[in-house]
Parts: sequence; C-alpha cells; structure tokens
Amino acid sequence: MSAPTLKIDDLKLSFKTWSGTAQVLHGISLHIKKGERVALVGESGSGKSVTARIVLGMLQQLKSARIAGSVEFEGVNLETLKPASRHALRGTRMSMIFQDPTSSLNPVYPIFAQFKEVLERAQPGITNEKAREKAISALADVAINEPDRVLDSYAFQLSGGMNQRVMIAMALANNPALLLADEPGTALDVTVQAQTLKLMSELVKKHHTSVLFISHNLGVVREFADRVYVIYKGNIVEQGPTERLFDDPKHPYTRALLSAVPRITGGGIPDLDDDPGRFTAPLVAHEGYSERELLA
Amino acid sequence: MIVLIGVSLLIFAIARVIPGDPARIALGPNATAEAVVALRDKLHLNDSFLAQYGYFIADLLRGDLGLSLYTNRPVMADIAQFLPATLELVIVSGIMMVAMGLPLGILSARHRGGWIDHTVRLVTLLGVSAPAFVWAVVLMLVFSYFIRIFPIAGRISDSFSIQTVTGFLLIDTLIAGDFRAFGNTVWHIILPAFALALSGIGQAARLVRSNMVETYDKPFIEMAQAYGFPEKRIARRYAFRPSLIPSLTIIGLDFAAMLGSAFLVEAVYAWPGLSRYGVAVILRKDLNAIVGTVLVISAMFLIVNLIVDLLVSIINPRIRLSQRAS
Repeated sequence: MSAPTLKIDDLKLSFKTWSGTAQVLHGISLHIKKGERVALVGESGSGKSVTARIVLGMLQQLKSARIAGSVEFEGVNLETLKPASRHALRGTRMSMIFQDPTSSLNPVYPIFAQFKEVLERAQPGITNEKAREKAISALADVAINEPDRVLDSYAFQLSGGMNQRVMIAMALANNPALLLADEPGTALDVTVQAQTLKLMSELVKKHHTSVLFISHNLGVVREFADRVYVIYKGNIVEQGPTERLFDDPKHPYTRALLSAVPRITGGGIPDLDDDPGRFTAPLVAHEGYSERELLA
Repeated sequence: MIVLIGVSLLIFAIARVIPGDPARIALGPNATAEAVVALRDKLHLNDSFLAQYGYFIADLLRGDLGLSLYTNRPVMADIAQFLPATLELVIVSGIMMVAMGLPLGILSARHRGGWIDHTVRLVTLLGVSAPAFVWAVVLMLVFSYFIRIFPIAGRISDSFSIQTVTGFLLIDTLIAGDFRAFGNTVWHIILPAFALALSGIGQAARLVRSNMVETYDKPFIEMAQAYGFPEKRIARRYAFRPSLIPSLTIIGLDFAAMLGSAFLVEAVYAWPGLSRYGVAVILRKDLNAIVGTVLVISAMFLIVNLIVDLLVSIINPRIRLSQRAS
C-alpha cells in the first residue's frame, strides 16, 4: 500500500509571546490518502488554518512559532528535507486556495501575469504562448467562457465568483498531489460558493487530487468531504466518515457544532450547550476510523 | 492655470505690502526727491493696486516680467540665466532621492524587524530630522574642509570656460566635448545635491518601507508565498509595486519642495541659482523680480505635480482603466 499523501502525526504548535507561550495545537494527528477529500472542521481560532500553513512550511519562518511533531508528504518527512527542496513543493506538488479570492490576487497585474508565475513554478522558463495556452485550458476546466478576456483583466474587474474559479484553476494548473482549501469562498455568496465548490469537487475527482478542506460551514463539508476531523481548541475531538459523523455525532462538541447551525425551516437560532467544559472530552473516533485502524 | 493666477495675485499683493519704497532703494540714498517721484511714476507705483496688477498681467501676456531694479535687466533674462543652475541642482537631487530612497525602503521592508531594517530606519530618521541647510553646512565641513575630497563651493572650477548653450553645465560640458570639465561639474554638484536630497531620501525610504510592510500583510502576498514564488519576486512585484502608488504622490511633493529648500543650500555653496537671486531681490525689494521668481517656482511646482499625477495614473491600473472606460 502506498504512503498517504499527507500524514500529520502529533503536531504541536505554540507561539512565544511577551507574556509566555500560547499553545495553539496540542498534538493533532490526521492523514489523507491519495484522492481522498478530508475536511477539518472547527470554529475560528481552533487551529484549522495554521495546520495548512505548517504543511506548506509557511509558519516555520516565524521566529515566535514553536513546532513539534511530524508532517509526512507522500512518505517523506518534510522536516528532513532541505529548505530549498521543501520550498520546491509549494505551488507544484501542493497548492492552496484562500478564503477571499479577490484580495488574494495581485491588484496591479492582470490575471495572466500571475497565472504565468504559477505555471513557471512547475516549468521554469515557460514561454508566453505556451503559458497562455495552458491557462486557457485550465480556465475552460472551471467553466470560464471567455478565457482571453479574463486573463487580460485585473482581479478588481472580475466578480468574486469569477476570481474564485481563477484561483481554483491556478491551484490545479500544475496538477498538485495535495490541495489545501482554506475556507474557500467563505467571502462569496452562498449560491456562487456552491457552484464553484461543485466545479472544484469534479476537478479533484478527475485528477485524483487529495484535498484538505478547511471549513466551518457544515453544509458544504457534508457535500464535499469523504471523511471529517472535528477540531476544537487545538485538539481533534472527533473523526469519522462524513455520513456517520453527521447522523450520529458522538462528541459533545460535535453535537453542539451541528445544533448551532440555524435551520432554514425556522425555529430561531438554537441554544448552545451551556457547558463548554465537556467540549474538551477526549477524542472519539468512529468505529474503524481511528488513525491506527485507517493506517494499518 | 487658476492656481497660477491666484499665486501671482497673492505674491503681487505681498510684495507691495512689504515696508520700504522700492524706488528709493533702487536709486540709493543720494537720489533726489524728483528722481524718486519720476521712477515711482514710471513703475506705476502711484496707481491703485488693481491698476498695477492690470499692467503686470498685460505685460506678462507679452512674455515680459518687467525690468529688475537690482540688475537693471529684464527679469525674464535674469531668470533664464539663473534658473538652469537651480533646476540642475534640484533634478540631480531628485534622482538621488529616488535612486537611493526607494532601494533603501525596499531593503528595509524585506528585512523588516532585522538589524538591516533598524539601521536603515535610524539613518533615514537622521536624514529627515535635520533641514537641508544644516546638512549642507555639515557635509561641507566634513568633506570639503576636514577631509578635502570635494570642492567647497561653486558649479565649476574657474579654470574652465564653457560656452553656455542650455545653461545646464552637466549638459553644456558634454556638448563642448570637454570631459574633464564634465567631471569637474559632477564633482561640484555632488555635495550640494546630496545635502538637498538627504531629507528626501530619508522620507522616500521610510514611506516606501511603511507602505510595503503594510502590503506584506495582504492576502495576495500570502498567496504568492503559498505558491512558492521567489522572495525577490514577491518583494518586487507583490509588495513594492502596489505600494509604489501611494508613495509616488508624496515623493513628488517632496521633489517639488526641494525647490524651496534649494534657497538655503544655494546660499551655503555659493551656487549661482535662481534661489540666490530670489533672496537678493527680496532684500532689495525688487518688485518685478520677486513676483517673477515666485511665479516661475510655483509653475515648476505645478509642473512636477502634474507629471506625478500622470505617472500615478499610468502605474495604477484602477485609474488607467477607469479613464479608458469613461
């Protein structure tokens, strides 16, 4: 059996501040197999986004960050790589999609200039014509009808949904093994978000891309992910297959999280569990879905 | 244009409320009362303020700024003689400001929080915290007196005689094909230009640094890092370019402000420029010359601002595209 695309083992993160050390991740373990779409769900500040940034190696350069534990990518422990070879993975073997597509694109260059920079990561010295050809076909994959017009536009001239498609096209242009999607499209309208996520879903299925889907939007997670990890205050509190986790949440925090979603049928905003002490209860894995069993 | 009319009216009024009789000063203490009255008549000084302004504008439209009472030559001719020296000084300073200020700011922002950043910030703070004439004196003392590397004053050594074509010695020496004279002029201009540029360099560096540091927190920088673009490229295309837009306007203003600071630097280095001329004519209450000088300097100021606005609209796609659309 081949090594999982991503395997995080007992990852700890703390920030050194003037007033002491702030522990952000208390030792989380998760993995994603090839072509698997895994969601990491939790509230703001639970440690979702930092996890993605550690995988890319972007937090390591912060002097105040203390990181322990291991991150393996396609069987290679990333900490053992030289900085240059680790850097070489970014944008080529792993890529990322951000929350707000419009502000994640450079405002002073047209889309094509950035698209070419992304393509250059995999093919240094690619010609303009070749890059344009590739960009056009990548945009066609995300159902953009006028690729030439989009490539010559600036991000601020395009709609949020259009920019989101451009981001998805960029993220998948180099055919990465792992896509980190950090709350993609949270800044967009729900309908636009649904459309673009559907596109993304089809594309990653087609290319067998592994996805770490970071979100607090449970509706989206349910549609999109094969498996779910629920994270609370830097700990994974529950993990399991999407359907079973949603139908039968076992951990008190997961139950609170699911009941916190306002229903479209009305009934007001639900009351939250008033005993957050129970949220820190230990990890509950659904049967057959603990790290040990899955990686066996 | 409207600004220029306002400036001319204002300076015209100010020049006329300064105490002292220009005719009396021009003719000297030994002139007869009749001569003074005659000159006052000739200069329309006995007419109402508005009538005087009317005469002035009528002359100005014919390209005539009147006679200078100090040099006894047309003010236009005086300005044409002194302006190139000032422009040469200010332009060289402006180039120094951009050529040194921007790279320092970029360097500082790329190493934000590190020792390079701290050093640059300290040095540039020194640069902005003293006015140009203080630097002029300090630099002159250090580099022309204690360590005699640079000449102490003037535009060129007396041993060279260069035919005036443009009035810009840096260009005239090249036209004459005299490279030793060119080198000599460069040698002369370095200290005064640097003294004049120092606060601008400091301001440009600090401005670019703070704008870039702010830009470094934008999501598109994180995206560029997540895709592993080279650090240098991120600094140039993702951090510097977007922050150049707000910086450029201020740098343009600084550049125009150098025209003002040039007054004192020219005085220190005995630089035969318009500013020295301006000071001399103000002390002589030479009305026509004062108004002419101020008008020319304001016109320069406006031209620089216009150029900067054009540059900003070229490098800012938002402005460029909205103009095309309308």
